Amino acid sequence: MSTETPNLDLRDSYTEKYGFHDAEQSVFKSRRGLDREIVAQISDMKGEPAWMRDYRLKALEIFEKKPMPTWGPDLSTIDFQNIYYYVKPTSEESKSWDDVPADMKRTFDKLGIPEAEQKFLSGVGAQYDSEVVYHKIQEKLEKLGVLFLSCDHGLKEHEALFKQYFGTIIPSTDNKFAALNSAVWSGGSFIYIPKGVHVDVPLQAYFRINTKDMGQFERTLIIVDEGAFVHYVEGCTAPTYSSDSLHSAVVEIIVKPGARCRYTTIQNWSNNVYNLVTKRAVAYRDATMEWVDGNLGSKITQKYPSVYMMEPGAHGEILSIAFAGKGQHQDAGGKVIHCAPNTSSKIISKSISKDGGRAGYRGLVKVQKGAVDSRSTVNCDALILDERSRSDTYPYMEIEEDRVTIGHEATVSKIGDEQLFYLQSRGIDKEEAAAMIVSGFIEPIVKELPMEYAVEMNRLIQLQMEGSVG
Amino acid sequence: MTPATTGFDIDTWATTALERAARRDEPAWAIAQRRAASGNARALGFPGREQELWRRIDFRTLEQAFSSLDPFRESPPTRNLDDLPPALLERLGSEAGRIGLVVQRNTGVVIEQTAPELERQGVIVCSLERALVRHADKLRDRLGALIAPDYDGYAALGAALRSGGAFVYVPDGVEAAVPIRLFHWLDGTGQLAAPRSVIVLGKNARATIVEEEMSDAAEDIAFHLGGTEVFLGDDAKLVYGTLQEWGGHVYHYSNQRAQIGRGAELQWIQTILGGRMVKTNSYFDLVGPGGQAFVHGFMFGDGRQQFHLHTLQRHLSDHCTSDLLIKGCLKDRARSVYQGLIQVAEGAQRTDAYQANRNLVLSDTARADSIPGLEILANDVRCTHGATIGNVDPEQMYYLMARGLPRNDAQRLIVEGFFAPVIDRIPLEGIREHLRQVIQRKIG
Repeated sequence: MSTETPNLDLRDSYTEKYGFHDAEQSVFKSRRGLDREIVAQISDMKGEPAWMRDYRLKALEIFEKKPMPTWGPDLSTIDFQNIYYYVKPTSEESKSWDDVPADMKRTFDKLGIPEAEQKFLSGVGAQYDSEVVYHKIQEKLEKLGVLFLSCDHGLKEHEALFKQYFGTIIPSTDNKFAALNSAVWSGGSFIYIPKGVHVDVPLQAYFRINTKDMGQFERTLIIVDEGAFVHYVEGCTAPTYSSDSLHSAVVEIIVKPGARCRYTTIQNWSNNVYNLVTKRAVAYRDATMEWVDGNLGSKITQKYPSVYMMEPGAHGEILSIAFAGKGQHQDAGGKVIHCAPNTSSKIISKSISKDGGRAGYRGLVKVQKGAVDSRSTVNCDALILDERSRSDTYPYMEIEEDRVTIGHEATVSKIGDEQLFYLQSRGIDKEEAAAMIVSGFIEPIVKELPMEYAVEMNRLIQLQMEGSVG
Repeated sequence: MTPATTGFDIDTWATTALERAARRDEPAWAIAQRRAASGNARALGFPGREQELWRRIDFRTLEQAFSSLDPFRESPPTRNLDDLPPALLERLGSEAGRIGLVVQRNTGVVIEQTAPELERQGVIVCSLERALVRHADKLRDRLGALIAPDYDGYAALGAALRSGGAFVYVPDGVEAAVPIRLFHWLDGTGQLAAPRSVIVLGKNARATIVEEEMSDAAEDIAFHLGGTEVFLGDDAKLVYGTLQEWGGHVYHYSNQRAQIGRGAELQWIQTILGGRMVKTNSYFDLVGPGGQAFVHGFMFGDGRQQFHLHTLQRHLSDHCTSDLLIKGCLKDRARSVYQGLIQVAEGAQRTDAYQANRNLVLSDTARADSIPGLEILANDVRCTHGATIGNVDPEQMYYLMARGLPRNDAQRLIVEGFFAPVIDRIPLEGIREHLRQVIQRKIG
């Protein structure tokens, strides 16, 4: 590989494509900082029941008590008192793009959301700063009893169902950032798929931060009832600001017996966003949970989607791509917890680091007592594209049973000279050859993405490979 | 380091250690090292559970019993080999007199023998205590150079209380004519032995060194707090075995470090079989281009044994190779933690590093944790690791039992086969045979 500075990368074109921002025109913006008053104010603005208000205030206490994590990336530069915790963009959530304020609609148009909705999706939610501004689901799904709402509307309209599951998978005591989210959550999706319903075309949520120094804390709760199927896709972008934003989501998923849920994330935040997310699913008898997690953006990402396999026959799968360019640290990975016999899991992680970026895999395979005949394989591959970049692999395996099969493999390498030579000798120029090799490297995961995302991912990778070889 | 629960006080111990060191004419710098170490030990205290390397093993039982330990227990008078414990003599076999030999019993070295061939070659084999007086120039820049004085509270305490240890020095260009064996023995309970050994191979030197840790069986606690620093000059080659077989009452914490020069090669075989709670940190640094390190180790835990092995393969220079394989087998309620890391520094291009951890779990009450890690800061590298945890392959069992072998024999054969690749690398046949017997006994 060249030792010259490859200067063109994915993040350079970011500013032009996603890094713009609208003039701030929120209908309400909390003052900077976090205290009981702010939390109570958020709850009041939303007109929540008392139990949720209490839940938030309790979570705030937990957040304040919990120390910052001492492992992983350096988070000491986050200034919790400089952040706006709640920015309400519009007074109402719309069911038609025509009702979305012009600026925001223009933003989502630029990002191609309305177009995608028509072509590929069963339903769309679009969140702008703290609130969901647009939400729509196909009528035929609505008739089948599928619920796809913003989390706030979920609480309002289906309180009993919401209350039954909310906070049961990720309690506010889980970690510091889950506590923060529990205190100030706003927006996100609430999804219920009734027994036996297959939602063939994905549901998508799109998250956009617009306001400077803003914290986005969406909360997502997905319940897939027995034998049902859903594929949920989320994408995220933000303007490029010189100061940092914080995104700290909590996603809870319940996959009931025989059901299947796939959750795909294309995280493409701008390079000034701290992305600290807790995602967890529980899968019951013969259920399948799949996380497809693409991390391209953000300054620091810490995200380890997990699957708890609670009953026999449950299956968990995590496919993770992390790309770290200049100034980025992607601390991605996944956790699979085998709590019952005859459960199986698979983790595939591909990470690429470039221009001084640091990408890594941090994961856990845990087999609890009694989870006999569990099987798990973990494969981590890392590609380092220049000598200034870094790759880390920290897999943890905790096994409390003997009748199990657990395997882990990881490799770290550069683009092979021989591979390059092979392609070049067939008349492909070096840059294109390198891009092809990188595309091939991430192919096992890209092929799991919905079509339009697979195309986008390949395009992004090609873009960032430009000028990197020579 | 004065937890309220115990009457133990670091200052009293440190003062006694300093007085004894002065009586033995330790050079001033070595005494200053002890003094600094006791300051570190006091400041650091016992490692807390929040430290990543102490999360998975619990030394609190030992820490609460600290006041009952005696770091200055004298060794029984030893005029010749016949005064050594029979178990040790048996292990030594017929080799005494034909090898380099250092035997430490409790806190002090009782036997130091250099074979005539070694003496002619200028090879030094003696106690560290003697070396500090007679070969201080060779130790000055080495003792404490690889084990950081503030690595953790235990390492610091060990440096402050240092008692015994061996010194081996092979001059440039010399191939040590016979193997060198270093023994550590603990009698009964209540001991705290803190040996620190230094092994130096000059440029293009060669040697085979085996370090063995043994004790009788006892009820109460004894504590071995050891440290070894190994220096390989350019193009040197060392075959180094560290075999740990304490009785079931011994707590063990040791830091092993090796520094590998340009083109040098370290073959390191480690076994962890004995002890109640065992924590070992085995690190090596590849500091010159073309250095090579091959580490093969195994642990076999039964009863309520707990093992924690941390390895660090540090590639600080280019064109180096390291290959590490740790095998673990567990039965009953035993628990093992393997925590390994490959670090490739910036600029350490053309690194080829491998790390594998294979675990065989024989009972449903045993537990194995495996945490292999990679931190890579160079791009032209090949770094791979793999880890597996499983039980005995039912198909292999079926195959053997279908041929008339009872279940126990079949399982024993499979476990022996699992360990064979590591045992085969141990340089002395007597030791290989002994290890096979230990494994058989453990399988039961």
